[in-house]
Amino acid sequence: MTTYQFFTTAWTWNSIVVSLVILSCLAYWLAFRRRGRPLYFAGAIVVFLLALVSPLSALANGYVFSAHMIQHILLVLIIPALLLLSLPRAFSLYSFFDRLTYPLVGWAAGVGAMWLWHAPSLCNAAATSRIVSAIQTISLLLMGSLFWWQVIAPREKQRLSPAAAIVYLFTACTACSVLGIILTFAPVSICPVYQHPVDRLGMLSTIRSGWGLTSDRDQQIGGLLMWVPMCAIYAAAILAQMARWYSPSQPEQSNA
Amino acid sequence: MNGNNAMAEFKDVVLDPAKRRHYQLAWLSTVDHKRIGVLYMLTGLFFLIVGGVEALVIRLQLAVPNNNLVAPDTFNQLFTLHGTTMIFLVAMPLLFGFVNYILPLQIGARDMAFPRLNAFGYWCQPFGGILLHFSILAGGAPAVGWFSYAPLSETPYSSSPGVDYWAIALFVLGLGTISFAVNTIATVISCRAPGMTMRRLPLFTWMNFINSFLILIALPVLNAGLAMILIDRRLDGHFFLPFRGGSAVLWQHIFWAFGHPEVYIVAVPAFGMIAEMIPVFSRKPIFGYEAVAASTVAIVVLSSLVWGHHMFTVGMGRALDLFFIITSMLIAIPTGVKVLNWSATMVGGRIRFGVPMLFCIAFLIQFTCAGLTGISHASAALDWQTKNSYFLVAHFHFVFVGAIVFAMLGALPYWFPKMSGRMMSESLGKWTFWLWLVGFNMTFVIQHVLGLYGMPRRIFTYPDIPGWGWMNMVSTIGVFFMGAGSLVMIWNIAQSFFRGKAAGDNPWDAWTLEWATTSPPPHENFLALPPIHSRRPLWDIANPDRPDPVVGDDQVVLPDHNKTGILAFLFSEVGFFGVLILAYLYFYAHPHPGPGPKELDVPRTLVFSVCLFASSFTFWRSEVALHKQRRGSMLGWLALTIALGAVFLGGQVNEYWKLFQSGVDLSTNMFSTAFFTLTGFHGVHVLIGLITLLIFLWLAWEGDSVSAKFHAAFKCVGYYWHFVDVVWIFVLFTIYILPLLR
Repeated sequence: MTTYQFFTTAWTWNSIVVSLVILSCLAYWLAFRRRGRPLYFAGAIVVFLLALVSPLSALANGYVFSAHMIQHILLVLIIPALLLLSLPRAFSLYSFFDRLTYPLVGWAAGVGAMWLWHAPSLCNAAATSRIVSAIQTISLLLMGSLFWWQVIAPREKQRLSPAAAIVYLFTACTACSVLGIILTFAPVSICPVYQHPVDRLGMLSTIRSGWGLTSDRDQQIGGLLMWVPMCAIYAAAILAQMARWYSPSQPEQSNA
Repeated sequence: MNGNNAMAEFKDVVLDPAKRRHYQLAWLSTVDHKRIGVLYMLTGLFFLIVGGVEALVIRLQLAVPNNNLVAPDTFNQLFTLHGTTMIFLVAMPLLFGFVNYILPLQIGARDMAFPRLNAFGYWCQPFGGILLHFSILAGGAPAVGWFSYAPLSETPYSSSPGVDYWAIALFVLGLGTISFAVNTIATVISCRAPGMTMRRLPLFTWMNFINSFLILIALPVLNAGLAMILIDRRLDGHFFLPFRGGSAVLWQHIFWAFGHPEVYIVAVPAFGMIAEMIPVFSRKPIFGYEAVAASTVAIVVLSSLVWGHHMFTVGMGRALDLFFIITSMLIAIPTGVKVLNWSATMVGGRIRFGVPMLFCIAFLIQFTCAGLTGISHASAALDWQTKNSYFLVAHFHFVFVGAIVFAMLGALPYWFPKMSGRMMSESLGKWTFWLWLVGFNMTFVIQHVLGLYGMPRRIFTYPDIPGWGWMNMVSTIGVFFMGAGSLVMIWNIAQSFFRGKAAGDNPWDAWTLEWATTSPPPHENFLALPPIHSRRPLWDIANPDRPDPVVGDDQVVLPDHNKTGILAFLFSEVGFFGVLILAYLYFYAHPHPGPGPKELDVPRTLVFSVCLFASSFTFWRSEVALHKQRRGSMLGWLALTIALGAVFLGGQVNEYWKLFQSGVDLSTNMFSTAFFTLTGFHGVHVLIGLITLLIFLWLAWEGDSVSAKFHAAFKCVGYYWHFVDVVWIFVLFTIYILPLLR
């Protein structure tokens, strides 16, 4: 299959995903029609489709490790952030979920989403089994939401203070960078499925020789994606916290 | 020292033996941040002369083709010492001297948070410098470049002890720098004056505060690398020896993971100086305070992600190159924001072209040039052509001299009046400026061209290729201008100190707190502090009818400085152990014949680990007992903690002994080198913790446990002890558990 054919045909219109998208759009419209910020929500839906329907998803599904990494980052960092931003300012959780919003829980969820799903057996299972893959997708969205809740919860008073949020983001960035560095320099395959993919779509020769993506280089790019662009996302969030800190309405906070 | 009769007093002090001894002691034993700051600067100035003479000899050797003024090996030693001296013994002490003197004054503090730690940090500098230069007497200075690339720096290729002295000296200097950073962070967080909220900090203070975090990120990485290379050289390890299974490229990664942030560690304080001087001399508040402050944070985060651009020519592979190209280009944005803000500050200002301002303007232009050539190195394709040529030499001298040294030369006349009570001579200052400006550009602008003509770095001489001879000659002549400028500056310092015009409290009509006290400040810094509601408290006093907008509310939150200090220190330890663990993992993933993790007795180690983890619990119980003032219970739990820690350490000694018995020692293979290094350093940390706990046990036994000081210190030891236990969780997992999961 050529690259052109691939990008035109490899759209996986999964009925569950599509119905989920339609249902959540309806729910959002019903619940937050007036007060919500629909642009963010639309962004979340577009990114969601990009991650799970577009050819990226086909590549991530057992073919290319770096594509899997992009999907991973979209699911943990981008979509949850957009979803939280799309909520109306007055939104609050049921008290049951409130208990999950301790900073340490959020931090552990955000970093754990990276580390846990890159344990070789889990990573392999998610790339081969559809059920595990579905569990992975849901858990990544949830863990990402828990992580971002500390930083961009709808109500200002539920967020960490800017200084604490900078520490929170910086340490998360470091923890993910370490995993990225390990993936980049690891001589063995972290996720062996991607080393010898089952060639369901007849794409393997195009990927390996056409795109020049050997399995070693593929893993290296995957590691680098987790290391550099992810840190760039955290760095952008840190700068946003600086802006928030210097905004006139912010009370004085200590760093420690 | 009163400014009016400095000369008389100086004579008095020098001529009267009793007073002389008193002054010697007063300066040698001082813990006053102002005196330590001056000591830092004098040390830096001394080594500036040393490093300058080294540079002069280098340039004289290169002045004409086929020169043989110095032998090739001497030349290698010279450029190694020159680079190491200028960065670690000139730039850092000079900048830290300014910070030490000015930063506590700017936030209205009485002193640094830990005055004795401050003295320790300072004394690491001269001793580190002596260690480095002692190598000349001990069989030859290091001749491996300031980055000491492996395997050249390993024993088979550098058998004289020069590299050992280099590594130990840098380790000592690194400890001093880390203690300085811990101190700065604790001072800014915990010792601010009423009203000096974090959002009102002067930019010099803010930038050095943020920079201290960068020090805590970068320096431990270097220290871990130095420990590894010393283990290679002294204990026959093989971390960086390829023919024994080590990785020479690993050294480059470690060194540059420190080395690139290091550039910013010396640049950011210089940025801070510029950010103070330009507004004062433009008589306008800084343009975009928030942007300048936030871009510093961005620099700190990004600078830890760009070290690979020093390694494009190593052959890291296209993927790594590409990502490092992108990050290296990204970091130009926050630096560009700074330059833009400084320039915009000058626009529309009523600029006074005093000597500090002249240096600032030269800084802006030269730093922009340095940034542009820097960006060219971010492109790997171009970097392959220009790396290891004089183009690169010219680039980094534009950063270090054209930007950082110029900022310091400007900061000297700016803050000298505060330190001495006397103004520096304006006319001599202009001589210094023009001599430096001409000399610097003469020496280094032409080196760009030389590099593009293909002259490589680190060659001791060159054949008579058309064009090279005269260009090198021009470059060498420039050095004499800079040397003359420096002599004028030293003469200016000396004569201004005795005969300069009295400065008064605030000679520049500046706005930050250091100008609110007398010049020089009294021992306790401030007799009374002005009210602080904005970023320019002295402006508000001078212009009560149009004060600056109030920034935030006045309430200041000051956490305990002991807690801040220990947490900052432990933050630096994370980097140290992180590098050791990653190095272990790297060699674990590249297994070599010989012993491996399968030799280890996992169940036994687990038992000892439980002891260590339990000791965290018993320490917590001891802390609770102390809090409830139950002395007996506190002593009991503390003794149990020590016993558990000792059992763990005994278990480790036992494990080492058994390995030695079966013929496995540090030099056996890569696994053993990495294993003994990682567990050994953890063991040393446990041992230090045990000694500290024993001291506390003794103090509590003697009945000292009631004071508030004891409580605070005990809490800090607790943080350390728990931290050591947490590190063991990671070490245990990496070394013992990970192989079981395979």
